[in-house]
Amino acid sequence: MGGASADPGKARVRARRVRTVILYAALTLAAVVVLFPFFWMIVTALKMPGHAFDSEILPRPPTLDNFRRVFTEYGFMRYFLNSGIVSVSSGLFATLFAALAAYAFVFKEFRGRDKIFAAIIASMMVPGLMYVVPQFAIVKKLGWMNTYRAMIVPHLANAFGLFLLRQYMVTIPRSLVDAARIDGASDFQVFGHIVVPLTLPVIATLFLLTFQFHWSNFLWQLIVANRESLYTVPVGLAMFKQQHEQLYTLKMAASAISIIPISVIFVFAQKYFIEGVTRGAVKG
Amino acid sequence: MKASLRDHLTTAAFLGPFVVIFALFLAYPLFYSFYLSLNKVTTLVNVFENLRFVGLDNFVKLFQDKLFWWSLLMTLYYAALAVPLGIGSALLLAVLINNKLKLNKLYRTAFFLPYVLDLFVVSVVWTFIYSPHYGILNRILETVGIHYFAEQGFLGRPETAMPAVVLVNVLKGAGFGMLLYLAALQNIPQEVYEAADIDGAGWWTRLRRITLPLLKPVTLFMIIVGVTGALNAFVEIYAMTSGGPSVNVGEQAYGATWVTGYYLFDTFYVKLKLGYAAAMSYVLLFLAVTISLINLRILRPRGER
Repeated sequence: MGGASADPGKARVRARRVRTVILYAALTLAAVVVLFPFFWMIVTALKMPGHAFDSEILPRPPTLDNFRRVFTEYGFMRYFLNSGIVSVSSGLFATLFAALAAYAFVFKEFRGRDKIFAAIIASMMVPGLMYVVPQFAIVKKLGWMNTYRAMIVPHLANAFGLFLLRQYMVTIPRSLVDAARIDGASDFQVFGHIVVPLTLPVIATLFLLTFQFHWSNFLWQLIVANRESLYTVPVGLAMFKQQHEQLYTLKMAASAISIIPISVIFVFAQKYFIEGVTRGAVKG
Repeated sequence: MKASLRDHLTTAAFLGPFVVIFALFLAYPLFYSFYLSLNKVTTLVNVFENLRFVGLDNFVKLFQDKLFWWSLLMTLYYAALAVPLGIGSALLLAVLINNKLKLNKLYRTAFFLPYVLDLFVVSVVWTFIYSPHYGILNRILETVGIHYFAEQGFLGRPETAMPAVVLVNVLKGAGFGMLLYLAALQNIPQEVYEAADIDGAGWWTRLRRITLPLLKPVTLFMIIVGVTGALNAFVEIYAMTSGGPSVNVGEQAYGATWVTGYYLFDTFYVKLKLGYAAAMSYVLLFLAVTISLINLRILRPRGER
């Protein structure tokens, strides 16, 4: 009798164990498929030049020569620096401008406030490609071609960022702000000492998202910066690819230069990325 | 009065940077683009200075342009592949992750990581993987006796070029959809399933009658994102196929991945036909806004969370 009652329990434990194994197998298979390109990129970047298509999977011996060469012989040091300058300053200013504007939309009264906000939000519907021609024309007319200004300024009004920050700022208790105002604090003090500290997680999220966007922005940087000294990593890679189709190991090293920094940031700041992405998706 | 003026100035200072840039680089371009679409470039030296007004000529030509209709068809094809593949992969990953396993977080990170990486660079890496002859994917397939891709690779064959391009985007974006589905799955109250258990519903019934209907808002959102992605597709095409390879339809040669986004770029940046490109971008805008409005109509009444 005792044996009969123990069996179903054991069977259930075993069934659960089998299920766990199957799940892990499926997850691992999916991870291999999704991450294989990056594995293959790094493995190839570590192979000796000219050995990209060797039959061994792992480089023997691995070499950092490709990285050294793309940095020193092919100007990727400069491109890397440009990518950094453009994405850090774009991220900082876009976030700052969005935070300032969000403050006004939440805590200040002015005519047409809701209509202006609605117009800015509506602009999110416009496909990005639509802007390429007219923005290019404006930048050209302003005489900004081949400057960092052209690469940065046109993207500093981030409607999504304004939406994200406003949505968060409206949850700040008004009494907190009013009390500070009564004590004689100016709007800038309220902004700097109360609103920004309370909004910091969302500000961090927005900074990371804009940084990442500009790090990966390809088309715009391709058309406004035709001078090699201004190339960002992807544009530099595009040019490199055109001239040296066959230098696969170098191409993969140059690709890794773009991918590794973002991956590292992502691993540490994953929480903020996820926050931004899921919040953006459920927008009303 | 003085305080109020001061208050207005403060408001202006807060709004200023954002609103000025918005007006100059996001609002004005829409009107300027419309103006451009009514004009024709007459000289390649200083393209914006010597425009000639041509009325609606560009639009008339556009609707007679076979290559443009082809590009819309290719955009539709892109979307027809990207939407179901995107939803399927995202849902699959979400269901796998949603099991309270110990290493869940690690897998979630792995799946989401590609989403934040540079599409151009990822496309370059994939081009290498898709290479003919010694490309790793072809070599793997050759070991199981498939030699179909040896000569032209995956991007060089008209019938596989588009699926290969779309697959890159789907795998890169799967983690994004996964997060959305995961959030929706975790929002379904456990009691609903318990009630279903009591009623004797099997897993298939539970999936069809409970899970999928409750995931519908996310699925609709994913459809919108997928279609918008197809309308904006450019970088992956530029990096992997440049609109090719060529296919013959009747006597005319077309590009197997010649989507509207790529045609727009080609018209604007390679051929310098700015007016024509602006007219094309207005068609894109019309399509995108239509889709967004459908989105609002369908999603709103159901209510987001």
